[in-house]
Amino acid sequence: MKFSFALIKKMAPGKYDKNALIETLNEHAFEAVDVGGDVIEISVPPNRFSDAASHRGIALEAAALLQVPFRDPLKSKMSYGAKGQGIFRVNIKEKKLCNRYLAAYVTNVKVGASPEWIKEIIESAGIRSINAVVDIMNYVMLEIGQPLHAFDAEKVSGGIVVRRAMARESIETLDNQKISLDTSMLVISDAKRALAIAGVKGGKFSEVTPATKSLLIEAANFDGAAIYAAARALNLHTDASARFSHQLSPELAWQGMQRALDLLREVLGAKIYQPIDLYGKKQPRKIIPLRLEKLNAIIGVPIKEPEVIKLLAPLGFSKRGKFLEVPALRLDVADIEDIAEEVIRLRGYGALPAQAPAVALNPAFEAETVLLKDRVRNYLAGIGCTEVYNYSLVSRDAVGLAPPVMFGGNGGAPAELANPMSKQYAALRDSLASGLVANLKSNSRFFDEVRIFEIGSVFRNGKNTVDEQIALGIAVAAKNAVLELKGVAEVLFEKLGVTDYFFPDLNYPNSLLKSQEALRIETSDHQVVGYLGSVSGVKGAVLELNLGKLLTIVDEEREFEPLSKFPAIVRDLSILVSDSVRVGEILSLIQRVSSKLVEDVDLLDWYQDEKLGDNKKSLTFRVVFRAADRTLTDADADKEMAIINQILIDKFDVELR
Amino acid sequence: MIEDIKKEALELIRSAKDSAAVERLRIRFLGRKGEISKILRSLKDLSVKERQTVGPVAQQLKKDIERLIQEKTAVFSKSIQQGLPGIDITMPGKKIKIGYLHPLTLIEKEIRGIFKAMNFSVVEGPEVETEYYNFDALNIPKNHPARDMWDTFWLQNSQQLTSDKEQLTKGQESKVKGQMLLRTHTSPVQIRYMETHKPPFQIIVPGRVFRYEATDASHEINFYQIEGLMVGKTVTLANFKFVIQEFFKRLFRSDIEIRFRPSYFPFVEPGLEVDIRCIKCGGRGCGICKDSGWLEVMGAGMVHPRVFEAAHYNPRDFQGFAFGLGLERMAMIKYNIPDIRLFYSGDLRFIQQF
Repeated sequence: MKFSFALIKKMAPGKYDKNALIETLNEHAFEAVDVGGDVIEISVPPNRFSDAASHRGIALEAAALLQVPFRDPLKSKMSYGAKGQGIFRVNIKEKKLCNRYLAAYVTNVKVGASPEWIKEIIESAGIRSINAVVDIMNYVMLEIGQPLHAFDAEKVSGGIVVRRAMARESIETLDNQKISLDTSMLVISDAKRALAIAGVKGGKFSEVTPATKSLLIEAANFDGAAIYAAARALNLHTDASARFSHQLSPELAWQGMQRALDLLREVLGAKIYQPIDLYGKKQPRKIIPLRLEKLNAIIGVPIKEPEVIKLLAPLGFSKRGKFLEVPALRLDVADIEDIAEEVIRLRGYGALPAQAPAVALNPAFEAETVLLKDRVRNYLAGIGCTEVYNYSLVSRDAVGLAPPVMFGGNGGAPAELANPMSKQYAALRDSLASGLVANLKSNSRFFDEVRIFEIGSVFRNGKNTVDEQIALGIAVAAKNAVLELKGVAEVLFEKLGVTDYFFPDLNYPNSLLKSQEALRIETSDHQVVGYLGSVSGVKGAVLELNLGKLLTIVDEEREFEPLSKFPAIVRDLSILVSDSVRVGEILSLIQRVSSKLVEDVDLLDWYQDEKLGDNKKSLTFRVVFRAADRTLTDADADKEMAIINQILIDKFDVELR
Repeated sequence: MIEDIKKEALELIRSAKDSAAVERLRIRFLGRKGEISKILRSLKDLSVKERQTVGPVAQQLKKDIERLIQEKTAVFSKSIQQGLPGIDITMPGKKIKIGYLHPLTLIEKEIRGIFKAMNFSVVEGPEVETEYYNFDALNIPKNHPARDMWDTFWLQNSQQLTSDKEQLTKGQESKVKGQMLLRTHTSPVQIRYMETHKPPFQIIVPGRVFRYEATDASHEINFYQIEGLMVGKTVTLANFKFVIQEFFKRLFRSDIEIRFRPSYFPFVEPGLEVDIRCIKCGGRGCGICKDSGWLEVMGAGMVHPRVFEAAHYNPRDFQGFAFGLGLERMAMIKYNIPDIRLFYSGDLRFIQQF
C-alpha cells in the first residue's frame, strides 16, 4: 500500500526524514520500502487493515515509535450547517452483512477540480483525480482508512435500501462495465434500482458529475467475508473491496464520515445535514485483563507494568485498574498474546536476550520413514547412483503409464488439479518413472552411462481421499541396464535386511515397460512392493519400490552364522540351450534338484552368437559345493554334477560344452 | 656336471624377473628334491676320495646359490617397497564411480543434524492435505484475505468425506470435510503432531510444499520447508532466539548476526521474520541481499492460542514457538546457487558438484 511521507509527517511532525521512518517501521511495525519521490510502500498485514491501512494509522505508529506528537486530523466535535437529516430514509435489510450505515445529505455543491494538495496525495497513491467530490472521498479513504461513496442525490429516488441483489439483476459500474450480480451479493439500491455493489464499486446511474448539485454521502460497515466473496466472484478488486474484505471497525465509519463532511464544507463550501446513522450491533469497548506474568512468560524477560503502559499509551491503549482498554480500531488485539506482541515490537526485538530453554530431557528420535530414506539414499549413492528431484506435478499424459503396484495393484484414477497453472503441471505424479526416464534422456547428452534415483511421494485418487505413497525410483542407462537394476535391488534388499523376495514376471498391463523384460518385486507373503523392467522405446531400465510398504518388512536383526571350517569345491558348467529357455528356470531347477551339498549357484557368463546355431545361447553357471561336517572330495562334486547335467539334458535338452 | 649346474643356476637366477621366479629357482636347486640336494645326497654313494673332491665343491655351490638368491630376493623386495618396476605412480588414480546426493538432501541432513543435537525430533506429514489442516486449524479462516498469502493448488473432485460418517463426532467431521489441496506449507503437521502428542516436545518437519506461483529464479511451484515447533509450559520467545541463533551459527559455522522484525502469520502471535547478516558481503550490501545487508530466511513466532485450541490443548497450560524456513533458500545461500530451478532440473552436471 502506498503512503505519502509528507502526509504522515503532517500528522506526526518531528525532526526525522523518510529513511528514518522507513527504518523504524521495519524494525518495529511493518515492512516498508522507499519507492521514490514522496512515496513509501508499506505492507499492512491482513489483521491491521482496520487501524493501519491509513495515513492516520501509520502516523500514530510513527508518533509512538519516534516519540513525536500526534496531530489528529479528526476534530473532537462535529458541527453542521443545516438542521435535520435532510430528505432520505435508509433501510438495512441485511443487518448481518451491514452492521452500520451512515448517510449524509449535502447540498450547495459545485463540482469542480480539487485543490492541488488533495490531488497530490491521491495521485501519489496511484488514484486518478476525477473531480473535487470523488477526490475527497478517496482522500479520506487514504487518510482515515474508511472507504466512502458519494451519490448524486437527485438520482436517488425514495431512499436507500441495503439488500441482496435479486436474481438476474445487473448494474452498470462507474467504468461503464455491465456486471451481472447474484443473490449472494449485497447492493445499495434506491426504490428503483441497484445504485452500487456494496463495498466494491459504485454505479454509473448515480455517479457524481459536474452537473451534480446535491450529494448523498455513504460511510458504511460491511461484513468482510461477504465483500471478499463478492469481489472474488466478480473478479472486481478495488481499494474499497480490499479494505472491507479485511473487516473494518464500525467505529471507523463514523470517523470517515466526519472527516469527509469537514472537507466538503471546507473545500467546497457545501451545506451539511446531520448524517443518518443506522448502527446495528454496537462494537463493545474492549477491556482485557493485563496478565503481566503471562506476558512475561511469553516474551521470556520480566517487563514491569509501568513500562508496558508507557509503551502502549501512545497507540491509544489505556489502563483501567488491572485491565487494559484497547483502542476501538484495533480489531487485531483480543488477548494478552496480542498485547505481548505490541510490547515486544515497540520495545524492539534487538533488546530480546537469547536464553537456552530449560526442558525435561526426552531423547530425540527420527520418524522411521526419515531413517529409511536416509539409509536408502546412502546405499544407492555408495553404489554409484546420483539423486535427482523432479516435480510432483506432471502433465495428464505422464500419469497412468507405470504399473500401478504402488497402489495395491489396481489404484484409482490419477489425481488431477482443479486449478492447474498449465497443461504441463495438471496432474499429480503417480510414479517416479516418467520423470526419471526424462532425466536419463536429458543427461545422455553429457554422460555415456547414467545411474539416478529419486525418493518422493506419488498419488492416485483413493476411495474418499487421495492415496499418497512414498516411492523410490531408480533408473539406469547402460549396457544390460535391467540386469544391473536387478542387482541394485538385491544389494539394497541385502543392506536393508529384506531376505525373502522374488522377481516373478510383472503381468500388469502398462505402457511403460517392455512386456518381456519386466518383473514385479514380491515378498514371500505375496505383497507386491515394486517392479523393474526395460523401458519401451528408450535405452534404459527403471525400478520402483514402495518404501512405505518396504518399511513393514525390513528386518534389521542380524545374527552371526559360524564360518565354515571346511573348504568349498567350485565347478563351472557350460551349456548350450535353446534361447526360449529362461535362465531363471534353469537356476531354480538346479537349486531344486541338488542336495544339501550345493551352497550356491550363479550365472557366470552368457552370450548369443550366430556361430552357436539358430536360436541357441551359451550359458556358464558356477556351482559351489560345501559340506558342513567334512571336506568334500572331487568324487563328491563329480557325483553331484552328473545329477545336475542329466536333469538339464532331460528337462531342457541342453548340450554340455 | 657340477660346473654345468652352477653355470645354469647362476645364469637363471641373475635373469629372474620377479620374486616368484626366484622362488621357483630356489625350489629347483635348493629344495628337498632340488638338484643340489640330490648331489649332496648322492655323496654317500661315492668313495672317500671322490667325496673329498666333490663334497666341498658342492657345498660351495650351495652357498653361492643361497647367497645369489638372497641378493636377488632383496632386490625384488626393495623394488616392491619403492613401487618399482611396473607401475608409474604418477599416473592418475583409477576413476572410482560413486553417486551423489542431491544438494537439498545434503542441506536437509545438515539441518536435521543440528536440530537433533538440540534434542529436536524429526517427523513428517502428507503432501496432500485437507483445507482444515492447511488453513482452518491454523487460524486462517475461509473467506478472509489472509488466505491470499498462500496461493493454493486445489484437487479435483475431492470433497473429502469418510465412509463411516456416523462414527464421527462433530469435531472430527470438520477435519475430514473440506476440499483437498496440495499443502502450501509444512505447518499442518503442527496440528497433526499435537493431536497425538503431549508437551513438552520439540520437533522439526522437513517436507515438500506447493504454491500456485509463476516460476522464476527464486520461485518454484514445489519447494521444501522445514517447520519447527517447540511446546512446553515455559517455552519463551527468548528461548526461540537462543535456539535459532545456535542453529545459524552451526549451519554457517560462524558467529552470524541475526535480527527479528515484526511480521504477521495467522498461526503465531507475536509473529516475526528472522533475517541473517548477508553471508556474501557481511552486511556492506551486495546483489544477493539487494543492498540491504540482510537476508530474509525464516518466519516464526509464538504459537497462536487458537492453534492450540484446534489441537485440543488449553492455551493457558502451554506455550511455545514455531518457525518455518525454506530449504532451497538455505541451499542457495550456502552453496551460492543462483537459480532455484536448478534443483528440479535433474541435470547431473549440477547435482554432481555437491
